[in-house]
Amino acid sequence: MKVLARFCSWVKWLVKSSQLENEMDTEVRFHIESYAADLVRKGIPQQDAMRQARIEFGGVESNKDAIRASLGLRWWGELWIDLRYAARKLHNSPGFALTAILVLAIGIGVNVAAFSVFNLMVLKSLPVRDPDTLVRLQRRSPENIAGQIPYPSVVFYREHAKSLSAVMATMGARTELDGDVQPVNANFVTTNYFTELGTSAAYGRLLDPVREDAADAAPVVVLSFGFWQRHFGADPSIVGRIIHLNKKTATVIGVTPYVFASLGDQHPDVWLPMTQQPYFVEGSKALTETGGGGSVEMWGRLAPSVTAKVAEEELLVLTNELRQQHPKDIWDHEFIKSDPGGHIQVMKAEMYQAMAMVGTLTMLILAVACANLGGLLLARGVTREHEIGIRVAIGASRQRIFRQLFTESLLLALLGSVVGLALGYLVLRVMLVMIKAPAWQSAAPDWRVFLFALGMALAAAIFFGLAPALQIARQRHRKTIARQVLVGAQVAASCVLLIVAGLLVRATQHVIYTDPGFGYQQVLSIDPGLASHGYTPIAARAYLDQFESRLRALPGVTSVALSSMSPLGHENVSTTTVDIGGKTVTIYPSWVDSDFFRTMNIPLLHGRNLLPGENNAVILSESLARKQSPGQDPVGKRFWDKDVVGVAANARTMALNDGDAMEMYQAAQTADMPGMVVLVKTAGSPEGLPPMVKSIAESIDPKLFPYLRLLKSDFQWNVRQVEHAAMVVSLLGITAVLLAAIGLLGLVAYAVSERTKEIAIRIALGASPGHVLSAILRQFLWPVAVGLLAGLAGTAVLSQVLRRVLFGVNNLDPTSYLSGIAVLIAIATVASLLPAKRALHVNTMRALHYE
Amino acid sequence: VPKQIDLLQGTLDMLILKAVSLGPLHGYGVLLRIQQISGEKLEIQQGSLYPALYRLEHQGWIASEWGESDNNRKAKFYSLTVAGRRQLHSETEKWNRMASLIASILRTTPEEI
Repeated sequence: MKVLARFCSWVKWLVKSSQLENEMDTEVRFHIESYAADLVRKGIPQQDAMRQARIEFGGVESNKDAIRASLGLRWWGELWIDLRYAARKLHNSPGFALTAILVLAIGIGVNVAAFSVFNLMVLKSLPVRDPDTLVRLQRRSPENIAGQIPYPSVVFYREHAKSLSAVMATMGARTELDGDVQPVNANFVTTNYFTELGTSAAYGRLLDPVREDAADAAPVVVLSFGFWQRHFGADPSIVGRIIHLNKKTATVIGVTPYVFASLGDQHPDVWLPMTQQPYFVEGSKALTETGGGGSVEMWGRLAPSVTAKVAEEELLVLTNELRQQHPKDIWDHEFIKSDPGGHIQVMKAEMYQAMAMVGTLTMLILAVACANLGGLLLARGVTREHEIGIRVAIGASRQRIFRQLFTESLLLALLGSVVGLALGYLVLRVMLVMIKAPAWQSAAPDWRVFLFALGMALAAAIFFGLAPALQIARQRHRKTIARQVLVGAQVAASCVLLIVAGLLVRATQHVIYTDPGFGYQQVLSIDPGLASHGYTPIAARAYLDQFESRLRALPGVTSVALSSMSPLGHENVSTTTVDIGGKTVTIYPSWVDSDFFRTMNIPLLHGRNLLPGENNAVILSESLARKQSPGQDPVGKRFWDKDVVGVAANARTMALNDGDAMEMYQAAQTADMPGMVVLVKTAGSPEGLPPMVKSIAESIDPKLFPYLRLLKSDFQWNVRQVEHAAMVVSLLGITAVLLAAIGLLGLVAYAVSERTKEIAIRIALGASPGHVLSAILRQFLWPVAVGLLAGLAGTAVLSQVLRRVLFGVNNLDPTSYLSGIAVLIAIATVASLLPAKRALHVNTMRALHYE
Repeated sequence: VPKQIDLLQGTLDMLILKAVSLGPLHGYGVLLRIQQISGEKLEIQQGSLYPALYRLEHQGWIASEWGESDNNRKAKFYSLTVAGRRQLHSETEKWNRMASLIASILRTTPEEI
């Protein structure tokens, strides 16, 4: 009640302050006039009465001020005065203001950009109908995680789940369009996909549950807007045209809109009805197989007023029913996990670590910027001693002066934040263009980004403004300790950024100049897609035998091999974890034939090669062997219930960037044949091979459409990724170091100007230049050293997270650390010597006369 | 004229509440009422009256309303709210306890120790 009354009277004042001021006036005037009238009644002459009443009442304005103060309103008035004063002060020193705003804008802008990306990916809702009720549904059990789910299970859940108002499924596939070499990405979706998302066509119509789910529905295809532009030259008469996908005819019924958000950020070229998948992918059993296989993803829409929790509970009951129908296909303790699906990115646990890493790096920039600005403010405090002295003399309290100074910092921070927002917007905009983001993804900041920028401004104001304001208000800003802390903080933060940048640059060099452990220059990987076309193991074996022998006969081909996992291809990758000496180790197991090592150029260090079809042998990679039996010969020992027959050199075929990756090879069995990838090595360049391979595949089985990749291009793609990361972090590192250098330069220059007299005396008494320099620079030596050490320790801890992306470069790589430190020391030395040298040219006579 | 007594620190609020509890008053009326009840013995700083009135209103103990004064002029009238009545009650009690305590201390004679 009381709180409410207080709040109401506040709001009243804020909203109609002028009316209240009027009321105050009226009331006071009434008082004075009534009192004067009483005085007249007591016999005091009219003109004297009014005067006496006024005098006895006291100053009207100070009375009103006291009233405002009693309401807690004076604070606002003073804030306004402080703000106006701060604006005038900044206006009067534009050099300082611009520098400060720029420094802050860089610090805040980098963070705004990083947050905007996070916001776009994870927080922003997709522009579809009712995005909050969309859920991504995935299989989980205590031991297993799968993003995919067999289609018959999807159908079962769709038919029985009452807590879901709709269930959607998507399945990506590569198809061949009208005989093109370049594959076309297709997405098979349930026919309710577009109606559930509330999407309407740019041209023609989209999939429709009523028409496409009919038993005799004609094969249809929906084009994506981008593909329609690229491939069909944005031909408006496309609707109704017949095209051939995987050599099957289909009618184009429409084009998706230019601004279109899809579930899970999938951007296929064409959209096809799920029910027609067996028609387009001949022989496929993806819609009928209840176990394993398939790449179907399940999505749902929660029924009105149903929570995700309730839906999960119902789905668990249904999962248990499914287990009774297909005991083999459902895991122990399996359940369906629901995640919010109405965003680009469905949040995964391992992403938090990456986000924390990026967040830390960008916050370091802000830390450098703030420390930098703090130094500037301290130095400015000296030039304002006179002004502050006068204000203290005429009665301003320390608290009042602190408030004035902090308001100034707040204003600076807000201005910096505004420029930072613009900077962040620009960065995101460029990034979205570079990654060819879909049209609906806008870089324009929304309320979350604004709020974040405001929060950053407040945090920054506290970081850089609080301590200097306190020090200056207490007239203690001449103490060196504050300066030293600021230098230390800048050095530490930029040290971390520099070394991390160094590590990534090293990783780039490493991946370019060192052997990844396998030959990729001359290898072509061919995925015939046997499993997806329903090949049985026996049929697959026959196909592969014929395919391989035809490939071997091609001119320039030196060897052909089979592998269950395509090197560097990020598909069908499986990992397994084993417990070695109490530590969980992740291993990439491949099933290969005996030509694999020769084709991939992976040396066998020890033992023998795998024999065709042998079931009880395993070859370990060197790192795994060393981990498994340190200092001993692993050959002849058992691993994974198999005999270790050999040791192969480390080859990061599956995870190029992960230095910790380990491999294990077993001989491929007949049962593995449908999932095999064919690897072809040529004597010269493999570029001319694909057309010949295509025609061979065509002649063996025309309903297959093999997917061809040059390992060289995949390798280059991987290198580009790390190059980009290295570039971005280097940019951050250089920015941080430059900021720190400017900060140091300013502080040393300030220290010199502060001690001109002392230096003059020293020189007059015959001190050598070395002595003079050391006298000035000694106070900065310790902070730089402590900052360096803190930065080193911080990097050592932080870089643990980077291990998996460093392409095998140790995260404690001495070269990166030493070069980072060297660069930092060099820059710090230059930044401090430049202004310090001025001390040597001090005009002794003038400096001493000045006093 | 007998010498007027200065107001004890912190008692003005209580007196205003009491004055207003007897019926709605405008600011000047509050001043007159207090002086009248005290038999003209209390000196109230006119300047301190309005900050106190606004503070009490801000705290929700008194409410204000514009009305007409005896001489037909526009004036702001203050009246006690329910919360204010409770506050006055507890303040009065506290004051009485305090006063009797202080009085009993001051009455103490050497024999009683």
